[in-house]
Amino acid sequence: MFKFLKVLVKNILQGPATEAFPLQPAKTPDRFRGRVTLNPDLCVGCGICSHVCSGDAIRIIPNEEKTGYHYTVWYNSCCLCGSCTYYCPTKAITMTNNWHNSHKQDDKFKMAEHHFIPYLKCDGCGAPIRLLPPHLATRIYAHSPVDIEKIIRLCPSCRQIATAERQGELNESNPE
Amino acid sequence: MSFLNNIATKSPWLFRINAGSCNGCDVELATTAFIPRFDVERLGCKYCGSPRHADIVLITGPLTLKIKDQVLKVWNEIPEPKVTVAVGICPISGGVFKGGHSIEGPIDRYLPVDVNVPGCPPRPQAIMEGILLAKEIWLKRIEEAERKGVRHVQIS
Ligand code: SF4
Ligand code: SF4
Ligand code: SF4
Repeated sequence: MFKFLKVLVKNILQGPATEAFPLQPAKTPDRFRGRVTLNPDLCVGCGICSHVCSGDAIRIIPNEEKTGYHYTVWYNSCCLCGSCTYYCPTKAITMTNNWHNSHKQDDKFKMAEHHFIPYLKCDGCGAPIRLLPPHLATRIYAHSPVDIEKIIRLCPSCRQIATAERQGELNESNPE
Repeated sequence: MSFLNNIATKSPWLFRINAGSCNGCDVELATTAFIPRFDVERLGCKYCGSPRHADIVLITGPLTLKIKDQVLKVWNEIPEPKVTVAVGICPISGGVFKGGHSIEGPIDRYLPVDVNVPGCPPRPQAIMEGILLAKEIWLKRIEEAERKGVRHVQIS
């Protein structure tokens, strides 16, 4: 008979189920997939992210002088799938949990992240390259006797040659 | 009466148009309204069943060839001053359907959009932020219309 009283008391103690948002910030899990963001220092310009991008949100366009490339992510085309983050070999592109994306129409094309990322010159042949991120180089060359500091400033072909030469030197000094 | 008018102008009615969406965004719109955790009606908004009662129109989907004419027709039924909100990346840019053979969008090629809420789908709170933005625009438009002396705007 007093079942309803029980429910009543329980409901009063529980408080409202409604979130206070927009008066208070909404609860957002840390791993919520919101806006993507790029760390331009780590990006090597491989283009995997734009290749796997389901929303076609990423543009990578070299500038005319070929001294670097323009990297643009347009939030208004990003479907928050996270493929870019998953496939990026250097983990330069990551997702934040920022979901405050509503905007007026005037800002439609401002809802983007843009970076100009300059090329470096390969220490060996002078070809335009991006620095191989050290944390990646340490993993790739974990069992190789190369000098990581030097190898990250080389283009892929020069890297191959450098690795082979270093291996050769070692083999000569240590025939067994 | 002006007291009543003041209250009335603060409560926009929402109307939903599905322009060929995958239903993801529609579910989020329904969530925004019907799940007590979000409860958009706290903001004075209410979903209505007829475009003629609507003030803020929420459009989802990339505007497919098949639905285009109907969407434009229904949109024209909504009385001015209306505010158009594009919900999801589909109506804003075409999203994952961009470049499809049956996609006529982005929707701003055909309709004047006022607020964009990107996401695939956007979370309910993001939609609520968008609705608040739209409400702001809507109140401004009503004020403007009142200043010009228009009380009842004709349905086009
Ligand atoms: S963000 Fe990652 S995947 Fe995209 S170009 Fe840069 S390094 Fe490559
Ligand atoms: S999250 Fe998905 S849609 Fe967004 S930029 Fe990355 S790959 Fe593209
Ligand atoms: S934005 Fe994403 S969830 Fe919304 S209708 Fe388009 S595909 Fe579906």
